[in-house]
Amino acid sequence: MSNTTFREPAYVDYKDVELIKRSLNEQGKILPRRITNVSAKFQRQLTTAVKRARHMALIPFVSDSLK
Amino acid sequence: MATLQNTYELTYIVNSVISDEQVKDLVARVTTYVSEAGGEIIEVDEWGQRRLAYPIQKKRNGYYVNMYFRSSGVMIPRLERSLEIDDNVLRYMTLRMDSKMLRHYEESKTKQAISYAAEAVAPVNDDEDDD
Repeated sequence: MSNTTFREPAYVDYKDVELIKRSLNEQGKILPRRITNVSAKFQRQLTTAVKRARHMALIPFVSDSLK
Repeated sequence: MATLQNTYELTYIVNSVISDEQVKDLVARVTTYVSEAGGEIIEVDEWGQRRLAYPIQKKRNGYYVNMYFRSSGVMIPRLERSLEIDDNVLRYMTLRMDSKMLRHYEESKTKQAISYAAEAVAPVNDDEDDD
């Protein structure tokens, strides 16, 4: 699945939920670089953006968790 | 003292259980706080009510406000302290914008301006009255 290619913007905005969501698996975990094939630079920025978005409740910390 | 001015981005989530009036008051209070502390407001963008990705303080919805301003760094801890104290602010996040973020912001502004220009043909009501 998730073989989406990323246009890699210079700044990954945590408000850009669409972009961020594509880099997460169903559980809301950040996909590893070996799967998404993004640059290391982009991955680092993405990680920060994901964490910011999580803090602002734009994306879940965990989704789909077993109740 | 010549203070260094930075551009900041502040996003905060207001408890949306309180009345619209109270929300408006709070947003106005934060905005005046920033401007009175010598900040220069660039933009206050109220996203409005959104569903939270996970409950915060047992609330499922929140009223998002995203603002941009220029100010010296010394007021930021004070601003954050007042947000921390306010029980109606569920979350806040202040970011100092570096050149990349500024460029990104400018670009998104111009994109928005283009789409607004397109909408200008059929003007939309920008008032946030949903009654």
